[in-house]
Amino acid sequence: MQSISKALWIILAVSLLTGACKNDEQNVAPTDDNEAITTAILSLTNATNAQDVVTATIENLNATAPDFTKATLNLKANATYSGVVQLYDKTQTPTLDATAEIREKANEHLFIYTPSATSLLTVTLTDKDTNPAPGPYPIGLTFSLKAGPIATGKLNVRLRHQPGAKNGTATPGTDDLNVDYSVIIQ
Amino acid sequence: MLFISSTAWSQNIAVCTDSLVGFIQGQDSRQRTEKLPLPGATVYIRELAKGAVADANGRFQITGLCPGIYTLDYQFIGYKTVARTIHVPLSDTMIASATLLAENVTLNEVVVTEHRSEAQQLLQTQTSLSGAALDQTRGQSLGESLKSLTGLYSIQSGPSISKPVIHGLYSNRIIILNNGIRQEDQQWGTEHAPQVDQFLASRLTVIKGAASIRYGSDAIGGVILVEPKAMPEQPGINGEVNVVGATNGRMGVASGMLEGAFGKKLPGLSWRLQGTVKRSGYVRTPNYFLENTSYHENNFSGDIHYDHGPWGAEVFYSQFDTKIGLFTGAQVGSLADLYAAISRSEPLSKPGFSYTLDRPYQDVQHDLLKVRAYLRTNQGGTLTATFARQQNTRREYDYVSFSGSLNPELYLKLVTHTADLVWEHSSIKNGGGGVWSGSAGFNGITQGNVRQYLFLIPNFRNYGAGLFAIERYAAGRWTVEGGLRYDYRWLRAYFLNEATKQTYYTTHDWTNANGSLGAAYQFHSNLTLTANLSTAWRAPNVADLYSNGLHQSAVAYETGNPNLQPEQAYNGNLVLAYTGKRLSGEIGVYNNLIHNYIYLKPDSVPIIRQRGAFPSYSYAQVQATFRGIDATITYKLTDQLTLTTKNSLLFAYNQTDHDYLVFIPPNRSDNTLRYDWSRWGGLSNLYVSVSGLYVARQNRAPAVTSRQENGNVIFTGDFASPPSAYFLLGAEFGFTAPLGSQSMSVILSGTNLANVAYRDYLNRFRYFADEPGRNISLKVRVPFSVLTRS
Repeated sequence: MQSISKALWIILAVSLLTGACKNDEQNVAPTDDNEAITTAILSLTNATNAQDVVTATIENLNATAPDFTKATLNLKANATYSGVVQLYDKTQTPTLDATAEIREKANEHLFIYTPSATSLLTVTLTDKDTNPAPGPYPIGLTFSLKAGPIATGKLNVRLRHQPGAKNGTATPGTDDLNVDYSVIIQ
Repeated sequence: MLFISSTAWSQNIAVCTDSLVGFIQGQDSRQRTEKLPLPGATVYIRELAKGAVADANGRFQITGLCPGIYTLDYQFIGYKTVARTIHVPLSDTMIASATLLAENVTLNEVVVTEHRSEAQQLLQTQTSLSGAALDQTRGQSLGESLKSLTGLYSIQSGPSISKPVIHGLYSNRIIILNNGIRQEDQQWGTEHAPQVDQFLASRLTVIKGAASIRYGSDAIGGVILVEPKAMPEQPGINGEVNVVGATNGRMGVASGMLEGAFGKKLPGLSWRLQGTVKRSGYVRTPNYFLENTSYHENNFSGDIHYDHGPWGAEVFYSQFDTKIGLFTGAQVGSLADLYAAISRSEPLSKPGFSYTLDRPYQDVQHDLLKVRAYLRTNQGGTLTATFARQQNTRREYDYVSFSGSLNPELYLKLVTHTADLVWEHSSIKNGGGGVWSGSAGFNGITQGNVRQYLFLIPNFRNYGAGLFAIERYAAGRWTVEGGLRYDYRWLRAYFLNEATKQTYYTTHDWTNANGSLGAAYQFHSNLTLTANLSTAWRAPNVADLYSNGLHQSAVAYETGNPNLQPEQAYNGNLVLAYTGKRLSGEIGVYNNLIHNYIYLKPDSVPIIRQRGAFPSYSYAQVQATFRGIDATITYKLTDQLTLTTKNSLLFAYNQTDHDYLVFIPPNRSDNTLRYDWSRWGGLSNLYVSVSGLYVARQNRAPAVTSRQENGNVIFTGDFASPPSAYFLLGAEFGFTAPLGSQSMSVILSGTNLANVAYRDYLNRFRYFADEPGRNISLKVRVPFSVLTRS
């Protein structure tokens, strides 16, 4: 029995050495997404009236219930707007401006604006990346939007991440953002 | 005990069908008394690290032997060990009886149980892979290796992540015992492969069906034992080098082992060092490479044993380190991406070959420290105490789009401490010639989990304790076994209130008692019937209870259910094993009824996130049944030519909702024709084989339905119907060649020789790409001696 007690002492010693009693799990780290986008803002400025600015915002995109209460674009029929998209991650302090980082990596990103119905409005991308030939390709951080006649519908905004595969179309890559704005044209 | 050995080994490798039978008898060395059978004596084949235990009549049987020359050790407490070399010719049943002489002194240094597979103490349906059959799978992952056994399948996430499936059950419903320690490596995740170095094993044993009594709660589906070979006893230093090369993925694996014993200088002390390095690049399907499917693995382990008289101790340490590239074509940001990927017949990006390994990937380390001590006495039996600490660190890296972040998206560190105390009592013979044997013990476990970055499962602490007793009675043609177990589980999960920054927790506890009853009857020396009834349970794990997050790779939002009840399984199986001169085989049927079976049930409303709408799933419970048939039949057409057929049929059903269950392995049939030569020139044990694997289409799957939800198409049941049936052609050629006093083994094998493009229902990446195409691999095993007996 002496040898068994010896063995038990060894076990006890090893378990103490390996720190069986740490309670790391009681310190809970906050949830942290490397690439959360909490806020997506579309700002449209009427081409004929710089005072006429339309803004639509979607908040809490990464949380349990996204806030669509301010996500409606109220546009004038047949008016032309110049548009800007802004994306933020408000889970970071200070708030992270994802738009700036996308501009830095413009060669692998593309915004796609899809109205439904198609007659609702037309979007033309007005910026270009620096991809070599057959590029450059549009990015979509800035765009021109031409509203159609009186109607209601939706504008879908997608941000495509296309590392090493950008070819000007939506097909390659994966979605980083895929949201719908309500559109009312009066 | 004869019954068990025949069940355990008759499935070994179908093409090696020789068997060894004999009687072990004892005789008093001084008085020339009559020879008496020695029930419980062991015979052990050194080369294969396998053996058998003599039954009540002193008879033993070892089946599934390849032709060759073997060294046998016959051992029994109080008797002198006999070593004998035998030549097993082709297609024969060899008689290898032995008479052991009693030692004149009372002995206390006979190691008997060390050689036995731990699982052999259980009267349960088992199957195992060792020796030449295990060599054929070298270089593959654990999940892939086991697929050659009937009733076993694997769930994959691309070519490099493979999880074993036993009778349709996987993840937390299977226990993997790595070197005697319950492996805890976040096995709840479908894309979390077991962190086990296959080269550590000299035997992989699978207990099919509920085996909770001995191994603890959770083993509803079964237990996989990864058992290293016995430590060396002869003085000297020996080693072994395994090298594997494969064309697909341009994979290279090298594994080395060095072991020694000190003999008279330090009697009882032995050691072993082992290490494996594995590298693979992009895997190729018949028509394109799978981008980023590279794989890195570095493992090492060290083991020291000290055996001194009645007691002994062991310290074992191993580290498993792997970096697994995930196929980029399976990475989708949104449901729209998923549908686009499914609708494409081939991935968009089809680069050339490369060894590059970039995001997305998994980086996982698993450390194991084990300390074991035993005390053995003639009257009191054997008492074994084991303590182990495991640390599993998992980092998962996704694509980063704009942040340039170097952090992983998911970090989980799980530290597990286990302590086991097992007492195996000495065999007791009663007047009627029967033998009682059995064991009882305690299992304790505690785990602490720490997470960072994204939330998938919470931090937690758990405690578990179990008490068990198993007793067996063997007399004549009958062996009967019964077991009882009581378990207690406690779980506390920690959360952070993001608004107040306060930590809060929730606590659960569960208790459960289970039992098992088994019997084996030997009709005659060739035919044995074994029946088992057992219950098992599984407390819901932290992922079932508290998952809450977007599972990006599964394109699903998964929500745990804190109100889940433990799963309770009722498992019955019946196995008929026959070993004849030409025909041998084993047919087993099983029925596993699981109350409160936990699964992910699709919700009716999708969840909206930055990347659009995602189908949402919640954990729910139903009554499920898993029924099936495993059949292995081997027939010798001639002395050289053997036909083997291995068939696995499985029928699983959700009895509550009257629907099929998702991810259930389809029926499969694996057929091999093998030709053996004993000798050709200087080479021996030559064989060539051709095999055909047929996997049926899974027609018993939930119907795939779609509906419109806010302009989004939402699928339920699955994202795509099960793929078509497929047939794969394989071939293999192997031999052993003399190398000094040792012999090296060479195996050349080819899989998917017809280069068929197919998809497998159990691959989670089947929506995106085909399975790997043709692969030719060469496996060489070279044993060597550095220092022989001095």
